[in-house]
Amino acid sequence: MEGRLANSWRLTVNDKNFIKTALLSEIRIDGRKPFEYRKISIKFGREDGSSEVQLGQTRVMGMVTAQLVQPYRDRPKEGILSIFTEFSPMADPSFEPGRPGELAVELGHIVDRGLRESRAVDTESLCILAGKFVWAIRIDLHILDNGGNLVDAANIAALAALLTFRRPECSLGGEDGQEVIVHPPEIREPLPLTVHHLPIAISFGFFSNESILVIDPIHNEEAVMGGRMTTTVNANGDICAIQKSGGEGVPQRVIMQCLQLATSKAASITKQIKDAVEVFNTERALQKIKRQPTSTGDDVREKQNL
Amino acid sequence: MENKQSSSPASFVDSTVVPGDVVLDLSSMTNQTIKLGGGLRQDCDAISAMKAGTLRFSKPNKYWIESSQKRYVPCVEDTILGIVVDSKADNFLIDIKGPAMGFLPVLAFEGGTRRNIPKFEVGTLLYLRVVKANFGMNPELSCTDASGKAAEFGPLKDGYMFETSTGLSRKLLSSPTCPVLEALGKKLSFEIAVGLNGRVWVNAASPDTIVVVANAIMNSESLSGAQQIIMVDHLLQNIQ
Repeated sequence: MEGRLANSWRLTVNDKNFIKTALLSEIRIDGRKPFEYRKISIKFGREDGSSEVQLGQTRVMGMVTAQLVQPYRDRPKEGILSIFTEFSPMADPSFEPGRPGELAVELGHIVDRGLRESRAVDTESLCILAGKFVWAIRIDLHILDNGGNLVDAANIAALAALLTFRRPECSLGGEDGQEVIVHPPEIREPLPLTVHHLPIAISFGFFSNESILVIDPIHNEEAVMGGRMTTTVNANGDICAIQKSGGEGVPQRVIMQCLQLATSKAASITKQIKDAVEVFNTERALQKIKRQPTSTGDDVREKQNL
Repeated sequence: MENKQSSSPASFVDSTVVPGDVVLDLSSMTNQTIKLGGGLRQDCDAISAMKAGTLRFSKPNKYWIESSQKRYVPCVEDTILGIVVDSKADNFLIDIKGPAMGFLPVLAFEGGTRRNIPKFEVGTLLYLRVVKANFGMNPELSCTDASGKAAEFGPLKDGYMFETSTGLSRKLLSSPTCPVLEALGKKLSFEIAVGLNGRVWVNAASPDTIVVVANAIMNSESLSGAQQIIMVDHLLQNIQ
């Protein structure tokens, strides 16, 4: 809430009125139509499992890491998936360093629920030795710039990072077959995670009494809107999660309309993510082939030194 | 340092300077009054730069350093757009995108007396002038020009305010008129107020026009003059 409050005092009365009146004639301040999504650009870092997503002005960085840990008692055969959010004060002056704000917690929960409750990531394949060793996958989401609709951007960043993440291959060895050997990436090619489907979060903003609905609100609209709802759906049209936190009530009819819109958007966003991952994967494969010439280059240099 | 002081001051105008550069030497400019704008400070006879940017000179005697940033450093005689954050007995607190809140004395209006103190709701947008900008003090603002007239200063009604960099807002105010405004003005009629603190207010009869103008200005930041005109034409075609 503090994020939204801090946003609203910087917003002038003029802007608030303008956003509302313009929406009455279906005009949004960045020139979009009410049901138009902003342009998404997905970039990947040099390392596996890092992504940077730009949604209009919003920028989110996702980073996936893995660690071998002991599983939870009640689920000895399942890997662990956890999500951490980091709201940098550079992204928005209203984000305080240190203690995570309400928005940070909510964002983490929405992304977490979308991924975990829908069993998008196969956690059973992360088990190495039941009750002893499983992989704990950690997703870090860093908000780099707040241009509104952080949830959707963070969710895409998390998915893109998960899809490009590779965990080292493991095998059991030792005398009793209970020892875990982690193979370095040079010896055995690291393995990708099993991701069954991509739950895409799509946020909607609701504006006062006129029951105006917009998709993908920007930060100025977020400061003005009366309520928001995030629906997490996948390209098959399955509903993975719905988050409606406070604000105005929404009639059932509108929720159904949102879900329909979300399903069609989810399909196009899924395609964008998959395309971006594909491009990254082919590039990575090409780089692996090129590794040979660089080593000969070193040899040449050494000869010159001699 | 030696050779910089010996070089003629005019040589630094319109060239890039970095913090610490001594751009003017007052001992060689006797019997002159000069006005210092943003980014310059005086140490005895030496005027040195405090930030990186281009040194500008405007006739007859004003010098300042131009650079582009998201935050605004207040400077005397700048015209800015501020947002009312709070009102106290003596001052309105104004957000000016700077390091400190600006103080607008409640009497700093044309014919302002204790009896007719204006009431501003939190979030009101004001067109203001910076009167004092000293270190360690909150900048003092005013809604009058130097002679005490209201001029164009005061609250702005309706319209839409958006944020730009300080560099872009200076470009919008430059003369000859910035190409993006020139191109927009040929086809559309709108009102505009540009604050040097990187805020721009636009008003027009229809919300369409406001959105087009606002987006055209925001897009123009990194474009050359010719590109700006092409971009505006393209935007205008889309709405017709």
